[in-house]
Parts: sequence; C-alpha cells; structure tokens
Amino acid sequence: MKKIFLAKRNALLSPGYVSWGACAFMFAFLALLLRLLAPNFFWHVITPVFRVSEAISTESGALLMSFSNATQLAARNEELVNENAALANENMMLMKNSAEVSALLGGGNASGIVAGVVARPPESPYDTLVLATGSNGGVTLGMEAFGSSGVPIGVVSSVLDDFSRVTLFSAPGVSTSVWVGQASTPLIIRGSGAGAMNASAARAAGIAVGDIVFAPGPGQLPIGSVVRVDSDPLSPSVTLRIMPAENPFKIAWVLLRATGVVPMEFATTAP
Amino acid sequence: MMRTFGTCATLLSVIFFPWPLTACLALGMASFEPLVPFAAGLFADTLYYAPNSGMPMFTLIGAFVTVFSFFVRSRLKTSIIPR
Repeated sequence: MKKIFLAKRNALLSPGYVSWGACAFMFAFLALLLRLLAPNFFWHVITPVFRVSEAISTESGALLMSFSNATQLAARNEELVNENAALANENMMLMKNSAEVSALLGGGNASGIVAGVVARPPESPYDTLVLATGSNGGVTLGMEAFGSSGVPIGVVSSVLDDFSRVTLFSAPGVSTSVWVGQASTPLIIRGSGAGAMNASAARAAGIAVGDIVFAPGPGQLPIGSVVRVDSDPLSPSVTLRIMPAENPFKIAWVLLRATGVVPMEFATTAP
Repeated sequence: MMRTFGTCATLLSVIFFPWPLTACLALGMASFEPLVPFAAGLFADTLYYAPNSGMPMFTLIGAFVTVFSFFVRSRLKTSIIPR
C-alpha cells in the first residue's frame, strides 16, 4: 500500500522554502536592536548608505533633467522662485527687525554650528533631519536649526556623540508660537507633516494669503508664508495653510544655534 | 526569485526612495510575503523615528497589513497563492 506523506504546514518555514519575509523581519529587528543599544555606531554604519542614496538621487535628477528642455526650464524656474522667496523673506526679516535686531544681536552670538544633513524628507517620513554632527561637535538639545537666509526650520530633538536629529516645525504634532503679518498677530501653528503647517486665527485679524509668518529667534525670523486661507461663513475663525520658506526636501546644510526660545516639548534624550 | 527581489527592493527603498514608493512595494509584497510590510515599517522607524513623533506609525501600519495579509491567506485556499 502506498503511503501518503503530508508535509506539516507552517506559515513561515517549511522544508525547502526560505521565508524572505522572516529574513527581512529579522534584519529589521537586528537593526532596531543596534540602534537602541549602540545608536552612535548605528548611525556611523548607516551614514555611508545615506550618502550613496543622496548621490544616486542627485545623479538620477540630473539625468532626468537632461532629457527635456521643458523639464530643465521648469526646474530652473522652480529654483528661481525658491531663490526669490528666500530673498523676499530675507528682506522682510531685515525690515521687521531693523529697529530691534541691533539691540538683540549687538552683543549676541551670531555664530553657530554648521551641520550636514544625512537624511531628510521624503525618505525620512516624520519631518525630521538627521545631522552628521552631535555632542562632540557642540550640539545640544534644544538648539534651533536655521536654513539658508537665516530661516528657522526646526529644533534639535535628540543628540548622540556624532549625530543629532532636528524635528522640523512642520512635523505632525509640533506646536510653535509665531506672529503673522505686518500687524504681528500672535498665533500658534501646528505641523501637519510633509512640510506643511496649519493655524487657526480669528477672521477679524484680517490675515491674507502672502502674509509672512515669523518665529521667535534673535528678533522675529520668517519661517514661511500663508498660502491659503480656508474660511467657513458660519465660523468666526479661519484656518491658515502655511508653507515653510525653506523646502525641507532640499536642505543639505543647517546652522545650529542656541537661541533659548525653543519649547521644551522638543527635548529628549532618547536615541 | 520574485520574493527575493521584492523583499530586498522593499527594504532598500526605505533608504533610497520616498516613503510612498516603499509603501506601494510593501503592499505589493504582502500577498507573497506577509511579513515584508511589518519588516519594512520596523526598518523605516528604526531609521527615521524621532522619540517626540508620537506613535511609530510605520511599524503599526506594517503590522496591521501583515496581520491582514495572514488573515486573507488563511481564508483562501493555499493552492491559489503560489509558494
């Protein structure tokens, strides 16, 4: 009589079959353990990989641009628009602070720590930047990060020996006290992810599209502008949609300074 | 071969590509390798999670997709899903 052998079924392992999902899970779990137990070593290992990723991204972008003049022009146009916005913000900052900045910065510390960005959105899904400078380079918790033209972009939220992490103002759940417009209307803006921020303001405040949003720093520093005002006729308040002045997807270097105005909700010692 | 390539591509995309593409790859691999979305989510949070970012959403979403994928596989005839 012929015997029939039925192999015991297992969702993950069976004879002659390797579960690549289980292998991937083990790999991710080991990476997590490494980050928790030796975070500094972990970032030393992963940083070269991020560098390769950045190089590939840059090269692929240049390759795609070379295929079409229209694409090249659009990119150039976008670059000029961003540059124009940065210059406008810088101009607004100078106008806004002309009376008070000299007093605030007269004996102040205008220098800072320049740090390279290892990982940024959209690869980093939490609106955070990983910087290749840590406590050995003088970075401390709560330092404010500035992009080009002195635009504040976020706050140092964790520090390792050689690496640190900046949580952007646009990170979900992050609240920041700001002023909006020439009237300096005080508001609290909340990050909504992907570089965007929201705020609720009274309709009577008269805030309009294009108004500049200022954050505390040495004086008032522009962090973005109002790009849309959503209003409900039945509501006395309006919702402001704010885009940052600095595109978080293109930040390569940041300047870190201890301004002393950072909310403590950012501070943490976890890796 | 497909499983090997898909699994490696999903994990590599966590580093090299924007997260929406990673999410698409993980979802696509879920029917072949249910643990891949969980692994990809865990790996993404290992790399990018900040302690003040609230819940580790990518791990949680990956775990949910993995559980859902296992559930679907348990309800289908095994002959339908190629091994």
